[in-house]
Amino acid sequence: MSADKEAARAVNTSASHVFEALRIVANAGEPIGASEIGRHLDLPASTVYRALITLEESEYIDRFQSSARYELGAMPHLLNRALLRRFALQKESISLLRALAQESGETTSVSVRLGWYSLRLAVAYGSHDFYHRDRLGEVSPLHASLPSRVILGALSDVERKRYWAFAEANFQPTAAERTLAQNAITAMRRDNVLIEAIATSTEKAAVGAPLREPDGDVIGALVLHGPIVKSGATTPPASVAAAIKSLEAAIAAAPAKFASPFADMDPDDIRITLPPKPRRD
Amino acid sequence: MSGETTDREHNKATARILRVLSTYVSEAADFGVSELNQRLGMTKNMVHRALTTLVEQGYLIRNKAGRYELSYRILELQNLAQAEPDFRTLAAPFMRQLYELTGESVSLAVRADDYTVFIGAVETRKLGAWRTQIGALRPLHASASGRVILSSFRDADVDAYIERRTPMRLNRPTGVMKPTDLWRAVQSIRQRGYEIARRGANPVMVAAAFPVEDSEGGLHGVIAVGGPEERFDPEAPDMSQPLHNLVNELRARTRLYAAEAP
Repeated sequence: MSADKEAARAVNTSASHVFEALRIVANAGEPIGASEIGRHLDLPASTVYRALITLEESEYIDRFQSSARYELGAMPHLLNRALLRRFALQKESISLLRALAQESGETTSVSVRLGWYSLRLAVAYGSHDFYHRDRLGEVSPLHASLPSRVILGALSDVERKRYWAFAEANFQPTAAERTLAQNAITAMRRDNVLIEAIATSTEKAAVGAPLREPDGDVIGALVLHGPIVKSGATTPPASVAAAIKSLEAAIAAAPAKFASPFADMDPDDIRITLPPKPRRD
Repeated sequence: MSGETTDREHNKATARILRVLSTYVSEAADFGVSELNQRLGMTKNMVHRALTTLVEQGYLIRNKAGRYELSYRILELQNLAQAEPDFRTLAAPFMRQLYELTGESVSLAVRADDYTVFIGAVETRKLGAWRTQIGALRPLHASASGRVILSSFRDADVDAYIERRTPMRLNRPTGVMKPTDLWRAVQSIRQRGYEIARRGANPVMVAAAFPVEDSEGGLHGVIAVGGPEERFDPEAPDMSQPLHNLVNELRARTRLYAAEAP
């Protein structure tokens, strides 16, 4: 092997260690110390230390409140924001979401389909929502959240069959998750809207509706996450229907602009390691 | 070369790879090798290797046009439990860098109704410096940062401010700002894109204040740097460019976030 190629390979190995350390910090869910990162990487302490310095100096990781433990830094956050900005639906929907959140007091969001996942693209938090559970950038498999189930329910039978094959291989949904998804599919096929019970209310439910292209293909979902309509209702509130109509008109006027940047990819090729869920205790 | 030196060199190479990835925090959706080579001052070979590594790691994708764009796998690098960075957090590294560049005091201000409130500062230890009172309210017309905020108002709102605040007192014994002088300052800031203000004598103090935009065409606030004219000239050829480069880098970040509602 030439000296040049050998040097390139050594740089690649070093880069792999640095990216592996970054992924460990991202997947830890909470701040993690250098020695624990070292245990995961199984590398000499000096190599780990230098990898962490490189990541910290480049703003990819940061010290948690000046301690010796690390969490993700500003740069991954900024890159995620830059990625979300590439979906034109984000800019188009935010003022509509704010108006819905202000009127209802509940958090509203728009998610898009990304392969066999939904990706939350825009959120407006309502004044009733202390927890801000529904975070921007959240990715979930198409059976595993309200916006996901709206999208799943709006797919064709052929696509849904493909989804379940992918889900079985990658997420192993539980029987309860499957039942919830099946109920959602039935409701979506019947009503083209999903009114789903939430833990915080027995009388009222959350509501989600699909965003479709003129040919009927679903590209996303608009969701009001709080208790907003009577359980058992089959139509969305007029304000939600109006917001959907307005967004679908914008999509119909410029379909190419609103297409996902990853629309050309086979959904089976899009695999995302899901970040850990925030702690509840 | 010792093992340690080799390691250090490899880490430098990795830092360059991370720098290439960080370039995607900008308005552009994709980049080619030549653009990155010009923008980052790295050789084409270095850029090419960095791009190849980033594609292998899953964070970039090569599109149909042969250009490189962010991959959906960036979504794996997030922690939904961490708070979104606010304006102060986004600006903090740039306040330090502006201080390192100029050696003078740097401040960060936001609007509170008809006032400017200073929410952060890095103060020089040199003699003769601006003192920033964190949390103090100053009428918008009375500081360079406040006038930058005023210049982002619609014309009718500037007039309404003048009507509400006249006489527009200044922070000196008998000073009052005339409406025509405020309008002149507002027009000049709009034209130039930032404020350069001089005041006092012996020494003359100079401040440069830059608007920091949000994702929706509004302002997060203002970042300003100032000191005695004999030490600091924001328009000097060797100062102006690096100063603007830093502010523009900050703006590329803040434009990804909506300003918090006042």
